Amino acid sequence: MKTLYLALKYLAIALWSAFVVFPFLWALTTSFKSANGVTGGATWIPWVQYEPSLQGWQSLFGGVGGINVVKPFYNSLVVTLSASVISITLGTLAAYALSRFTFRFLWMRNSDITFFFISQRIMPPIVLAIPFFLMLRSLGLLDSLPGLILVYVALLMPIAVWVMVDFFNGVPRGLDEMAWMDGCNPITTFWRVILPNALPGLVVAGMFCIIFGWNDFFFAFTLTFTETQLLPVAIVSLNSSVTPWWSLSAAALVSIAPLVVLAFVVERFLSKGGLAGAVR
Amino acid sequence: MAEIRLAKLAHSYGNGTNALKPLDMTWRDGGTYALLGPSGCGKSTMLNIISGLLKPSEGRVLFDGQDVTDKDTGARNIAQVFQVPVIYRSMTVGENLAFPLVCRRVPTPRIKARVEAIAERLGLSRHLNSRAVALTADQKQLISLGRGLVREDVSAVLLDEPLTVIDPQMKFELRKILKDINREFRLTMVLVTHDQNEALTFADTVVVMNHGEVIQAGTPQELFERPATTHVGTFIGSPAMNFLPAVREGDRVLVPGAGLSRTAPADLPTTDLTLAFRPEHAVAGGPLAGTVTRIWFEGADQVLALSVGDASLRIRAVAGAETVGAIVRFDVPQDCLRLYHQGRLVA
Ligand SMILES: Nc1ncnc2c1ncn2[C@@H]1O[C@H](COP(=O)(O)OP(=O)(O)OP(=O)(O)O)[C@@H](O)[C@H]1O
Ligand SMILES: [Mg+2]
Repeated sequence: MKTLYLALKYLAIALWSAFVVFPFLWALTTSFKSANGVTGGATWIPWVQYEPSLQGWQSLFGGVGGINVVKPFYNSLVVTLSASVISITLGTLAAYALSRFTFRFLWMRNSDITFFFISQRIMPPIVLAIPFFLMLRSLGLLDSLPGLILVYVALLMPIAVWVMVDFFNGVPRGLDEMAWMDGCNPITTFWRVILPNALPGLVVAGMFCIIFGWNDFFFAFTLTFTETQLLPVAIVSLNSSVTPWWSLSAAALVSIAPLVVLAFVVERFLSKGGLAGAVR
Repeated sequence: MAEIRLAKLAHSYGNGTNALKPLDMTWRDGGTYALLGPSGCGKSTMLNIISGLLKPSEGRVLFDGQDVTDKDTGARNIAQVFQVPVIYRSMTVGENLAFPLVCRRVPTPRIKARVEAIAERLGLSRHLNSRAVALTADQKQLISLGRGLVREDVSAVLLDEPLTVIDPQMKFELRKILKDINREFRLTMVLVTHDQNEALTFADTVVVMNHGEVIQAGTPQELFERPATTHVGTFIGSPAMNFLPAVREGDRVLVPGAGLSRTAPADLPTTDLTLAFRPEHAVAGGPLAGTVTRIWFEGADQVLALSVGDASLRIRAVAGAETVGAIVRFDVPQDCLRLYHQGRLVA
């Protein structure tokens, strides 16, 4: 009975792993193929089944008919990380305030204000494209990194607020009261007592921000021209009438690499028990 | 270390009910107090007002004559321990204990010395470097308590049913530790409890509350001998005080059919009278007689439930040969008979 259960468990895990891994494998092999290799059906083993070629990777780093992916990669990294850090910082402060103090703005109470933040993400992004474009133009920040960072902060902060309000609500108020009694002011209470308790929340919020920021194509496309290019936009420009599967596969691998690294880091944090007991 | 005065203090949570009715009260510097009363009578409300977690809707709070009503909790220098242990999860036991001193910028060597002393006192020395979350519930409560006690200059230590989560063996030990600390540092301590035993053994003044009012504040002795209301008499002492409906006849008050009577003070109303005495105060032999209906033991004594005329009452007696159904003769000394009118002590 127990062996059967174990066998089933491993089978399920194996199937799931295959499901997850195969697209990567497909992209990896395809990135080393040429036109011939791609059209010859699904093949996996280089030299035996297909003749490997570096054409796909070369076209990512300044090869003929390709692009140079280094600059856009760097731009994406800067924009995503800056916007995430700013969003998390501001969002966490806002969330703590919304969770602990009572606000009133016209008819709106705390929960309405929180919802207002979230509602920013409910709108379809296209609605924001023109206003953002006009605002950035009047600030002279179109097609620039600071401009993109500004827009991404607007997009990511709601996520940070949303995640963190929930986390702070889960941290008992008694902890704040105890901290006051022990001689903390509101700032030290937040910094030394509440924030360490909400660390897992910060990780979750950070993960969301980085993923959303890194993956965005729409604003990266509509708010830039030629000067400042982010990775998703650069990759799209690889495409032509004859789909270059090899370059696109290589590009796909490059663009998901940071997220894979992030996943491993967060996974380590989670399995080390960083979250255990913190979320009751 | 401060004398705490509550002046015309009252509180309402804004839903119409008065959690605390207007009251004046003084907590002596260095005294040990127990706050006793049924659930919802306003005990926590009172403590939270003293510590500043709650702003009273009326009245003032004074520490050593200084008005602190508008001061924040931190500025009042109060330590409060709650029913549920509150610990800083991200810190070790030692860091938890040190936190109040760190926040108040006490020099590091001093912090170390204090933390070690308190940890030693509470039996936490071995755990100083463990993560606080890893400890058991009662150890966590010791940490909460320890954080209150590390500050030597704390105005008062307020304990809001802190022993509920602690196992009985440890409870006894802890009460002793609290007493010792009170004596050593002359801290004002207020212990909220549901347990009259805990209250009577811990405190030199017991404060009984009900429905947001302080009904009686006095030594355990006073509460036992002269309960201010029938409620206190029922609440304090085990078995509870005997309360017998009485009537006035001329200059005497008597319990019809029971033979129990005492002189009536002048201007005593004629209705709603109660005569009362402690089961402990009954003496064997005498003019009164009752039939034993039930017997049970409390310590070395036995308690006899008697029916006397229409009334039923309990007396405490040295264990003897009484059996259910037997007639027992007893007496109650005149100075032990209390008289209540509308539930309040008259004489
Ligand atoms: N935050 C609150 N909002 C509204 N009413 C409250 C609040 N806290 C307490 N009350 C009410 O005030 C009254 C006194 O409450 P309090 O907590 O002081 O009682 P307590 O004596 O501490 O009871 P317990 O022994 O259960 O702890 C109760 O009737 C309670 O329902
Ligand atoms: Mg309470």
